[in-house]
Amino acid sequence: MKLSKQEFLSLSGMGNDTLNAWIEDEWLIPSGSSVELSFSEIDIARAQLIRDLQMDFGVNDEGVGVILNLVDQLYGMRRTLMELRQAVRTTSEQS
Amino acid sequence: MKDPYEILGVAPTASADDIQKAYRKLAKKLHPDLNPGNAEAEEKFKEIAGAYGLVGDAEKRKRFDNGEIDAAGAERPRQNYYRDYASSEQDHPYTDNSGFADFMDSEDAFAELLRRSAQAQANRRGHDLAYRLPIEFIESIAGANKRLTLPDGNTLDVTIPPGITEGQVLRLRGKGAPGSGKGGFGDALIEVEIKPDRSFTRQGDDIYLELPITLTEAVLGARIKVPTPTGAVTMAVPKGSNTGTTLRLRGKGAPKHAGGYGDQLVKLKVMLPREPNPELEAFVSGWESGRTYNPRDEVAP
Repeated sequence: MKLSKQEFLSLSGMGNDTLNAWIEDEWLIPSGSSVELSFSEIDIARAQLIRDLQMDFGVNDEGVGVILNLVDQLYGMRRTLMELRQAVRTTSEQS
Repeated sequence: MKDPYEILGVAPTASADDIQKAYRKLAKKLHPDLNPGNAEAEEKFKEIAGAYGLVGDAEKRKRFDNGEIDAAGAERPRQNYYRDYASSEQDHPYTDNSGFADFMDSEDAFAELLRRSAQAQANRRGHDLAYRLPIEFIESIAGANKRLTLPDGNTLDVTIPPGITEGQVLRLRGKGAPGSGKGGFGDALIEVEIKPDRSFTRQGDDIYLELPITLTEAVLGARIKVPTPTGAVTMAVPKGSNTGTTLRLRGKGAPKHAGGYGDQLVKLKVMLPREPNPELEAFVSGWESGRTYNPRDEVAP
């Protein structure tokens, strides 16, 4: 699924300025060019996470940046861990 | 479902502030995106989110306290969590390997495995980029060279093969988004949109054209010039042609997949002179069989 900026705004209920600020801070990294941004499911889910952090947990902007950085590292490790598991499985099947 | 106050660990008399505090405290610990490997946390989070959805809202809390609604069905339905996408095998821009970069520096087998998987992530092919390209009907039959201006100001030269159909997608290899590392570029996918033509329509490999002819050409026959998408050709209109008579120009249609061409079908339309013509009127009023022929014979009354 690919969404235009307009569709993303109406689906997420966010304001344009807020979205621009999030993109500026790289909290969100939509694909496409600067003229025509394109959003996918992961961007929607990430925006929901950021809103949970802000609205429900009362985390301020600095805190959100720190959390996202750690979250990205955590998921980077999980992905690598999954790939390692796959590699180990493949190796043990072969031997 | 359990009592929402109990789930949140507050007294039923707790203030709205206390309820919010209790919820935040639990949610911070249990949010599924912050506990990606913990299924139990997700279950608990759903519970507290459902409880908070009920008694965290002043209006709903009042109705719950008055017994108008119960705790059943209070769990908030929610679209997928971030972790469902972030953990997937699909490439995404948020992956960050810096959390274990130091592990990759050593010389053992484990570091080698890590390096390989990081490299696989670093060398992903770029995304395919989709565009739409409107073309004229004639270009769709005859083929054309088009230049597509992209949103970022760059251009793409696209060769339209003859006979392309509506919605067909042309793939330009390596013209998509850049990949990471040695992943290379994705492809540009160009969906062709054929603008409707004023005169020509297409059905399968055949092209249809309605062509006006004069009364004289219809009655006496003639050789006339007929436009086709690939240029005008001469066609013989037989004597006594009528409105609706369809003539076939073999091989003047769209190119076929298997080779060869379809036909162009020309449907004639007899046109009287634009202005009333005294000569014609004089002839027709003295033309006896014009009064006895009834073309409506076969039309139902």
